[in-house]
Amino acid sequence: MIRFHTIWLSKFNLNYIWLWFLLVTCSFSVLAGDRDQAKRIHDRISGVHASDAVITAMAADITAGNALDAAYTAMENDGFFNVTLKNMITPWTNEAQTVFAPLNDYTATVIGVVRDDLDFRLILSADLLYVGNSGLGLPVYGNNNNLHYEALEDQNISLKDHLVGTTPQSSITGMPTAATAGVLTSRAAAQAFFIDGTNRAMFRFTLLNHLCTDLEGIKDLNRPADRIRQDVSRSPGGDSSIFLNHCIGCHSGMDPLAQSFAYYEFEYDDEDPEGEQGRLVYNDAGQVDPDTGTRVQGKYHINSNSFKYGFITPDDRWDNYWRDGQNSLLGWDNSLVGSGSGAKSMGQELAHSEAFAQCQVKKVFKTVCLREPLSEDDNSQIDSMVSAFKSSNYQLKRVFADSAVYCMGD
Amino acid sequence: MNTANGASRTSSDAPNHYFSGLRCLINALNKGIEKSRLFSGGIVARGMVARRSVACGIAVAALFLSGCDGHSSSGAENQQFPDTNELVAVVNYTGPAAATTDIQNFKLNVWDNLVTDDRCGRCHGVSGQSPQFVNQDDINLAYAAANTIVDLSNPGESRMVTKVAGGHNCWEASDTFCADVIQGYISNWAFGSSEVIDTAVQLVAPIDKPVSSSKNFPDDAASFGSTLYPLLTEYCAGCHSDSASVPQAPYFASSDLDIAYEAVQSKLDLETPSNSRLVVRLRDEFHNCWSDCSANSAELEAAITLFADGIETTEVDLNLVLSRALNLLDGIAAKKGVRYKANAIAVYEFKTGEGELAYDTSGIDPAMHLTLSGDVDWLGSWGLRVNDGKAQATTSASKKLNDLILATGEYSLEAWVAPANVVQEDARIVSYSGGTTVRNFTVGQTLYNYDFFNRSTTTDGNGNPALSTDDDAEVLQATLQHVVVTYDPANGRRIYVNAELTDAVDTFAGGNLSEWDDTFAFVLGNEVSSDRLWQGSIRYVAVHNRVLTDGQIEQNFQAGVGEIFYMLFNVSEHVDVPDAYVVFIVSQFDGGSYLFANPFFISLDSAQQPDGITIKGMRIGINGREALVGQAFTHLDFVVQQANYSIETGVSMITQYVPGVSDDEEFGAIIALEKGPESDEFFLSFEQLGDSSNVFVEASPIAADLSFLENTQPHIGVRTFEEISHTMSAMTGIAVTHPDIVETFIKVKQQLPTAADIEGFLASHQMAVTQMSIEYCNALVDDDGLRSSFFPGFSFNADPDVAFGGGGTAIVVNALIANMMGVGLSVQPDNSDIYDVLVNGDLGAGYNGLIDELNDCPIDCNAARTEIIVKASCAAVLGSAVMLIQ
Repeated sequence: MIRFHTIWLSKFNLNYIWLWFLLVTCSFSVLAGDRDQAKRIHDRISGVHASDAVITAMAADITAGNALDAAYTAMENDGFFNVTLKNMITPWTNEAQTVFAPLNDYTATVIGVVRDDLDFRLILSADLLYVGNSGLGLPVYGNNNNLHYEALEDQNISLKDHLVGTTPQSSITGMPTAATAGVLTSRAAAQAFFIDGTNRAMFRFTLLNHLCTDLEGIKDLNRPADRIRQDVSRSPGGDSSIFLNHCIGCHSGMDPLAQSFAYYEFEYDDEDPEGEQGRLVYNDAGQVDPDTGTRVQGKYHINSNSFKYGFITPDDRWDNYWRDGQNSLLGWDNSLVGSGSGAKSMGQELAHSEAFAQCQVKKVFKTVCLREPLSEDDNSQIDSMVSAFKSSNYQLKRVFADSAVYCMGD
Repeated sequence: MNTANGASRTSSDAPNHYFSGLRCLINALNKGIEKSRLFSGGIVARGMVARRSVACGIAVAALFLSGCDGHSSSGAENQQFPDTNELVAVVNYTGPAAATTDIQNFKLNVWDNLVTDDRCGRCHGVSGQSPQFVNQDDINLAYAAANTIVDLSNPGESRMVTKVAGGHNCWEASDTFCADVIQGYISNWAFGSSEVIDTAVQLVAPIDKPVSSSKNFPDDAASFGSTLYPLLTEYCAGCHSDSASVPQAPYFASSDLDIAYEAVQSKLDLETPSNSRLVVRLRDEFHNCWSDCSANSAELEAAITLFADGIETTEVDLNLVLSRALNLLDGIAAKKGVRYKANAIAVYEFKTGEGELAYDTSGIDPAMHLTLSGDVDWLGSWGLRVNDGKAQATTSASKKLNDLILATGEYSLEAWVAPANVVQEDARIVSYSGGTTVRNFTVGQTLYNYDFFNRSTTTDGNGNPALSTDDDAEVLQATLQHVVVTYDPANGRRIYVNAELTDAVDTFAGGNLSEWDDTFAFVLGNEVSSDRLWQGSIRYVAVHNRVLTDGQIEQNFQAGVGEIFYMLFNVSEHVDVPDAYVVFIVSQFDGGSYLFANPFFISLDSAQQPDGITIKGMRIGINGREALVGQAFTHLDFVVQQANYSIETGVSMITQYVPGVSDDEEFGAIIALEKGPESDEFFLSFEQLGDSSNVFVEASPIAADLSFLENTQPHIGVRTFEEISHTMSAMTGIAVTHPDIVETFIKVKQQLPTAADIEGFLASHQMAVTQMSIEYCNALVDDDGLRSSFFPGFSFNADPDVAFGGGGTAIVVNALIANMMGVGLSVQPDNSDIYDVLVNGDLGAGYNGLIDELNDCPIDCNAARTEIIVKASCAAVLGSAVMLIQ
């Protein structure tokens, strides 16, 4: 192999490269024609270059007024799964929100749900897990490693063709069926959000990733404080006004919801501080945590002296206090009761909210249109796509198609 | 919790030999008395000793007595205090021996400490007024008299204490100080060093009063600024301003109106201005009047009235199901337990709440009071908040630490502290030192760690190496914590946080304290040199000259800090049960809130057996309205049933309400303080109480404004890192898993764009794109099969002149256009643009096109050079916006 970087860089002045980029960039000032729209749809959906034949076929659909079909054609490209979806989902799966994290069971499962046109809301509650086809010769799924998915990624195996989701999560991981909650109980999510801490991270990042809001955005000071755990100081730094004006706004709603994760823990060895060989554990019926004397993980009772008059978690009962007050605007599903036990039903509570649907649509809109909604027209389009998302039984492909057509240019 | 089951003192109580003996030893060592005298029956001729000295069998104390009518008509300002340099006669007891052990304990703990003329002896002695509890001639008669004015089961309620607390001839400037000291003496008599916990509370019906309408302080200080504030700045700023030469909190005369407004609120009674603390302080206590106290207080009252008249009254909602109302001080003072302080040689409870002195209430002379300097605020909940200052004792008073600790060779330091943050480092919380380089002991903070320096023969003069809590444990939190450090030669240093021994292990144990220096000063919140500021709140500090045992530390932790009240909210009118109350245990949690904890339902009428009473949706009200923030009982929903009701204890509402909470656990709500504990009026409201009900209605939520700011975000973007690689793969036919591609991609992927935003595209991104394009084109041209199909008919094995002559250039350029740019796309550059760059040299003067430029090769113009030129041409297109823009 010839390593000719030096020759290249010295002979071809770098300024020319930059100038060349700008020159060609400047020529993208006018959009016209079905082929151009087809190219944009393909670029935005699959992330990769389309062959002339595909562009031609898509352009024909657009010409015929079937732009949605063209979008679905773009979704046949592996890049939609191996690139676009993977890079959209990967930041959801780690605390740093980096896109450079390896493929994992969280990402693969969401990709699988999209590919199979399943009700997207299931990602937060179903007994569901996508793995690579057993015939690929990959390392088997590991409860204590991510080797299976890293091999899938390293070999650039088509996720469109080789993901399998027919075996329930519980059968693969050994987790009780009732304890599964889609990606919330994936190994990747556990490693990222159940590791150490108090399990509130799982809740916060689920809000961030699937309701598109951080806690600050839904702070409500007027919810009852009765479920805020003992570890939350009511007088941070000796000043209770901080608690009454800030902390309570998030914890009053979060803690009774995050209680649903009370039986989960991510176990790892001190020699493996990132938990690369760690595993998700769950206190099933009959199992007793030595620190709490119940099924509740010890982390739920830590720092109990920060405020000993606070709530002592006895079980995984959750209640959605945000069904009242300002956060009722998140659009909770009135067919659900707003309380329950465990992560599965709590995940369902979140996924059935209007905010969840809107969030998915907005994320896809940004992925495809490469920008946030900018105008009243964009806002109307978001509403329209949310309606279409619901009427398609929450198929995310439909949202990609709608977004791509909306942003395919004039 | 409300039963009279607390331990009370009986004749069978064990004598407190250990305690009294130790205390005698302490005092004797303090004054150089020979140990042989300590238990000799108390007859020691000593002549004259300095005031406040204490010895065994003898006592030194000071007293002003009511019979002496210390109050003059001119009030406290004219009160005469003893000359502190005056030598006070020691009382040598020569009367009959104590008839019982209990009488001997009384003598050692109370009589000895109060008998001198500068305390109680001048008036309540043998020839003085009744009660003669410091009868110098007969300890048995003194004991009998004392028993008429003490409550040994609850020393704080003793008449001897409450009388002094009410202003009766304290020997210091603070009545609270004297009351605390006397209470300590009585407690020592009653409980000694035994670990008796007395939490008995006798519930008594409070004064009945309805929930009243209330005036609440407006958010804006403007009205205050135009009414009362001018008077305060004119007459009070000399002391009560943060810019005064000797600032004294509260700073209600601060030059900053907002600071003054916040500080003054707890001193005003908007409903009854004449009851305002500002008025009372001048009118009744003659505190620094600027001319005539009566006229001055009237002037203040008028200004307060003017301010109050401008405030609209908050009327209570008549639809609410309400209890009767209470103020905090209508509650019954109680305690959670007795703090173990048998060996305390300095104690700070910070009860005075104002002034420049924090009193040492240990009762061990010399009193080691602390002088506040800099920005240090008093907390209404008892405590100091150190912002930028310190509280320091004199070196002479601090010497008692050296003397009394060296006598035992061990000590404990106990504190309730709330660090302001977890980012401060090398900060001194409590220190007995001479500067940053020399000390006897220090407890400090470094981030999440407590540091404990102790000077011993195994450390240097600065107490180094320090013992610190484990970094990973992060035991120090910015919340109220009980911290105890102990030292003894056998075990060295130990650190306890919230009664749990931390993992910090002293590897420099052993040694002794013989190298301590008695010229240092005791200081809180800083180093004596004022250059190691610690920010936070200090609620309690005690120095013990013994190591506290684990049990004693646990006992003191459970005793908590601050004052608690049982507040009985009458609800009889709703439940058809006489004397029915919902009772809360309430305390001022810190300077900004109250803690309402552990509610229970009870009828004070023991004949009642309440049954079938529904209590649902309880909220705490303050000053005429339900508190909006902090409610913790709104989901309460239970029924008082005869089966779960006890005549003695009623029925706990938290065990019925909070799942899994047992009887010995606690539960509470934090409610913001508004006017202050003397003025805030509380009540309870219910969604259902008995047969009364009210539907709680939430305010309608307001939808967020989703209006968009029209802007011009680009509608195009750049491909991101993996899109780039996969697109290059699609354009060249080289797999992304090609080893060379993988190697380069791993190196540059984080240098490639990670976001599609074209406005965020940087030159560094382009360099990474270029490297990737070079790698793909390199792999393409190096693959004979692929290059033949990609560039059909091109002579890769010919020299450049041959290969690019006769149509070779067009083969290369057209192949690149067809495979990478696509056809029929107006969004891509024209083909001529590509030719301009690669062939025609349209990028600037002297540039002949990339292919010609590279073909200009004086040496090595061979087939290898041909490949290089193709690779470069390929990379120029592949690494351009043709590929990158989406």
